[in-house]
Amino acid sequence: MEIQHIMQVVDASFVARQSIEKSLREIDRRALNAMVLVKRHGNTLAGYGVVAQAFRERAANLKESASHLQETIAPLIQAHMRILQHQRFVASFSAIAQAMAQYGQICASLENIRTRWRDTIAREEVEARKILLRLIATVDVLQEGIEEQEYVVTNGRIEAALAEDTGAPLMRVSRDMGEAVRTVSNAIRTYRHQLESLAYESSTDI
Amino acid sequence: MKAAPIFEAGSHRWWILYDQEERRVIDANVYVMESNGQSLILDPGGFEVFPQVFAALVEVIPPSSLKAAFVSHQDPDIASSLPLWHACNAQIQWHIPKLWEGFIRHYGALEAPLQNIPDEGGDVLIGGRRLEFIPAHYLHSSANFHVYDPEAKVLFSGDVGAALLPPGHDAWVGRRDRTGRAFDEHIAKAKYFHQRWMPSNAAKKDWINRVSQLEIEHLCPQHGAIYSGENVQRFLNWFDELTVGMGIRP
Repeated sequence: MEIQHIMQVVDASFVARQSIEKSLREIDRRALNAMVLVKRHGNTLAGYGVVAQAFRERAANLKESASHLQETIAPLIQAHMRILQHQRFVASFSAIAQAMAQYGQICASLENIRTRWRDTIAREEVEARKILLRLIATVDVLQEGIEEQEYVVTNGRIEAALAEDTGAPLMRVSRDMGEAVRTVSNAIRTYRHQLESLAYESSTDI
Repeated sequence: MKAAPIFEAGSHRWWILYDQEERRVIDANVYVMESNGQSLILDPGGFEVFPQVFAALVEVIPPSSLKAAFVSHQDPDIASSLPLWHACNAQIQWHIPKLWEGFIRHYGALEAPLQNIPDEGGDVLIGGRRLEFIPAHYLHSSANFHVYDPEAKVLFSGDVGAALLPPGHDAWVGRRDRTGRAFDEHIAKAKYFHQRWMPSNAAKKDWINRVSQLEIEHLCPQHGAIYSGENVQRFLNWFDELTVGMGIRP
């Protein structure tokens, strides 16, 4: 697999994790603001209070799912860097074999050790692919959580429309919530796309 | 390996990557400085621990932000990962002691862009911040440099301040301890390292005289734990008193 492609995914992992963490903090803040607003208006905004509470609870669930992301990203990076390390061995043994061939010499044990490292790399590539698929599954869980959150935002908009005569700026609060959710949704979708392309490449390699 | 922040002021940050899992090779710290989206990695580590160093690095910076690497001296625990970093990012500029260029290329980095640091030292600009290469020759290597960040008041001190600590060790020498007891406990684990690996009392004195002129908040060695606050002066005093070069007995 191309090291530059892996590097792109590594960079994307960093950007996605940062963006997801930042957006989730933002979602949590928006949810808290909404709850404060509901409390200020007493029982008149009880319906929206239920939505704000649901939004906050889901935000906590999303944070929990996102925390598992790093647990899988680190082993994936380590697996690929180990492959890179072992490829260096193969390259080095190949260079020695080539140099010896120029003098008409063949070393059987050198060839054996090169083959052993190639087999090791093949096993490590299979393992790296398994980790990658686990990471995609973790991203899927996060994506499902976001879809649920989008549903809560839609409910919030309906409740906000119903409570418009109270004068509370619920439409704005709902819009802010929606924006925060959209940001994290986009970040996850982009990241998943990058992981899929790596998965495709690794499936053609193995 | 774990990552912990040392210093942060806006877009200017320092991290330590420490407590490696592989115990068959000497445990080494790797440091990262980031400024305005550009990064420098200091003593990036050995070939054998590269995968875990890289994974820990990605927790704190995107690897594409790495513009430069600093190599304090020629030892394998410091620079043997060079060809792997180079394979990942061929744009990284490697700042190395001039004396060691031909030796460091033996690690399998014939093509890597090496920037030689002359014996008298120099500096490098990363993300608009100037870092100084401070000569520390014979501490322990014959051509050896430390890095000083005057804004963050961080001195990366290579093998000076190193201690051989057990797995799971902390990144700092008793940061909350005001009594100096934590320092005393720690320094016992640093004593043999300095006595045996440091060859020259004259070099030691010269280094202490120069480094004492600097404002240092964090003294960051390549092995062991960071000396912060009062522990910096405690270390300098302790080192000043220590006789080194014990491999040769009069």
